[in-house]
Amino acid sequence: MISTSNLTKKYAATTAVNALNLEICRGEIFGFLGPNGAGKTTTIRMLAGVLRPTSGTIHIGQWNMSIHPREAKQIIGFIPDRPFLYAKLTGKEFLYFMSKLYGLNPKHADKRISFLLDFFEIAYCAGELIESYSHGMKQRLVMCAALLHQPRVLIVDEPMVGLDPKGAKLVKRVFRELAQKGTTVFMSTHSLEVAEEMCDRIGIINEGSLIAVGTMTELRATTGGTAEKLEAIFFKLTGEEVLSEMAVTSNIRS
Amino acid sequence: MNLLYPKYLQCKNSLFLQRRTTLLQAVVLFCVGILFWAGLFIVFYRVLVYFQSIEVLGNFLAAKLLSMVLLTFFSILVFSTIITAISVFFLSEELNLIISMPYDPEDLYHAKLLETILNSSWMVLLFSLPVFLSYGIVFHQGGAYYGILAATLPPFLCICGTLGAGIALGLVKTFPARRLKDILFLLSLLVLVVIYLLFRFLKPERLVDPEVFVTVIDYLSSLDMPAAPFLPSQWMTDCLATILFSRTTTDVGFNLGLLWSTAAALVIIVGWLFQSLYFGAWSKAQEARSVKITSTSLFAYLLEKALRPFPLQVQALVAKDIRCFFRDTAQWSQLIILGAIIIIYLYNFSVLPLDKSPIPLRYFQNVIAFLNLGLAGFVLAAVAVRFGFPAISMEGEAFWLIAASPLTLRRFVWCKFWMIFAILSFLGQVLIVCTNILLHTEKSMMILSSVTIFLMTFGISSLSIGVGAAYPKFRYENVAQISTGFGGFLSMIIALLYILLMVVIEALPVHLVIMADMARRSLTWREIVLIGISFCTIVVLTVVACIVPMQIGLKKLAAREVL
Repeated sequence: MISTSNLTKKYAATTAVNALNLEICRGEIFGFLGPNGAGKTTTIRMLAGVLRPTSGTIHIGQWNMSIHPREAKQIIGFIPDRPFLYAKLTGKEFLYFMSKLYGLNPKHADKRISFLLDFFEIAYCAGELIESYSHGMKQRLVMCAALLHQPRVLIVDEPMVGLDPKGAKLVKRVFRELAQKGTTVFMSTHSLEVAEEMCDRIGIINEGSLIAVGTMTELRATTGGTAEKLEAIFFKLTGEEVLSEMAVTSNIRS
Repeated sequence: MNLLYPKYLQCKNSLFLQRRTTLLQAVVLFCVGILFWAGLFIVFYRVLVYFQSIEVLGNFLAAKLLSMVLLTFFSILVFSTIITAISVFFLSEELNLIISMPYDPEDLYHAKLLETILNSSWMVLLFSLPVFLSYGIVFHQGGAYYGILAATLPPFLCICGTLGAGIALGLVKTFPARRLKDILFLLSLLVLVVIYLLFRFLKPERLVDPEVFVTVIDYLSSLDMPAAPFLPSQWMTDCLATILFSRTTTDVGFNLGLLWSTAAALVIIVGWLFQSLYFGAWSKAQEARSVKITSTSLFAYLLEKALRPFPLQVQALVAKDIRCFFRDTAQWSQLIILGAIIIIYLYNFSVLPLDKSPIPLRYFQNVIAFLNLGLAGFVLAAVAVRFGFPAISMEGEAFWLIAASPLTLRRFVWCKFWMIFAILSFLGQVLIVCTNILLHTEKSMMILSSVTIFLMTFGISSLSIGVGAAYPKFRYENVAQISTGFGGFLSMIIALLYILLMVVIEALPVHLVIMADMARRSLTWREIVLIGISFCTIVVLTVVACIVPMQIGLKKLAAREVL
């Protein structure tokens, strides 16, 4: 459902993403991990069609993103890490705006908007201006918008940021149900527990290159361990060590 | 001063760590600034030289001009300081950090006051220098004049800045939470009041019509009379005029004392106000605005009905832009200024003394109506820079929604074009038709000007949207900032050149038609061919001005690294 071939993005002399090759199937939840500045957000933005790759191709379903961006975007739901929205619209107006951008039938949009507002528990503030929303409420609103047109591919950057435990639980449930119904979920996260709990497969990117990809079992085999947690695998693969809590504390206090 | 250190570092970094393109823009803006500076100097120099050539009256007129200039500076400075102070004292991002630290309120007050004064007054100060310099040169002044100038400017700027900061403090304390809408609305009204007062203070009709005075002595004494003896601008005028015109009726020491003591007193008084009001006002300014929009159901219904014939994506964009416009005070409040421009524009035409003209009335009417095309074009270009140029940038950081949606950039940009085109063509037709009615022009001239302004609107709209797409600024604090950069300037300059070119090309056919009409003869074949060529050129120019900027803007917007 998502396929990248030698996907590369360069910013002047810096290579943010280097020859990324990925194949993600229908109904799969794919976790994309990596340290800060590894190229996760750049990859996600290219997949969502808001950033142009330097070279390589992206296929969403049967559509090549550079040749048929409109068709590709029509089947994507994108949730960025920072939910910048139109502050002067109400939540409901924003969802109507999005439904029209995606060409939804107004009658169908009505029902879908009501359902999503209720489902994400923000119906009570749907008539208020977005500028008065908290980060979590905006995040829920963006999720409503991303799911409005029932996308076949959901691309999510840090889905749990800003959400309270209830919201995070809700999101996990949504992603699982969507995947069961055949939606492909591509998500980047810093929460290794979330990735371990939810993802069918995990890709780890470091300094722009994909250094490992597979199921938890496959990743364990890569690092030679048998019962390792994802955290240990991640640090081994990215070459970073878990800092001793004692050392950190003593350094901070001194 | 420690609180201002990060600001200093920011300025230094933005000067020395800029990308090459930004530096190029800075160089262009600097050159234009120099040209404007030089132009201002030349204008004032020539006016003052002319005044000097008028016996008896010369010095009075020069003094009156100085008083008017300083009163204008004073009004602009106080108003701009109120707006700057609201940002600097209450809305600046860094305040969250500063307030959370064990800060000294007095240090914060002094640092923020200095920042406010510097931010709001540097431009006025910069462009006041050629004025003062021209006075110094024309009236052969030496060190004493420049010394007095250097001694009067700091307290003058300090008074304006402190007054503005004090008013801002009171406003934010009075209006609860982040209700900038109310505050800015009030500020808009204040501007109108200030302009009205300023207008009355200047008494322009007296200056141009000495006949209204019973005697020359009355006229002279009215010119010599201080317009507003309680305003700091008058104290500064008196200081400078005493030296410039060797006056004996005013005293430098007394006025200098007034300026410095008022400045010191205001700093202390506003400081007290700050100590007692600031934290409460700042806390209120942080409250989010939570307003349930329920009163707009009729508006929403009408909007939906009006947009129904258009495709869904167009409906979405237009409805969104209209809603955001009327809910953002920074945007809709500009309509007040636009309204004032139209009223003044039409009023000027209504009072034109056509009957006193030595030129035949019919010819004069047509010439004025033709020149009015350029003037109306200029107004449209100014409105386009204010409303059209920022149209793309105003998507702000929510632009990712457009970029990630199936809406093509082409449709998005053209949709913006048609929106601004609709507004500008309505405005253009109102200006042209109303002025032509006021001028009693003939039907042929009415049709010609109406069609020309309609064509011009295509080019002007395209230039504002196209250049706006090529130089978008998605991160901004205030919508007014968007059009004040390099892109806005470029858009305005090209639009003015385009209008000039259109008027010049159309001058020949208009002249031929008027002359034939005056001579009561029909046009010759040669004249018809010339007219045809001119109109074809105008149509071609309009098509080029409409298509090229849009294509360039679209290409540049699509090529942006980060959408």
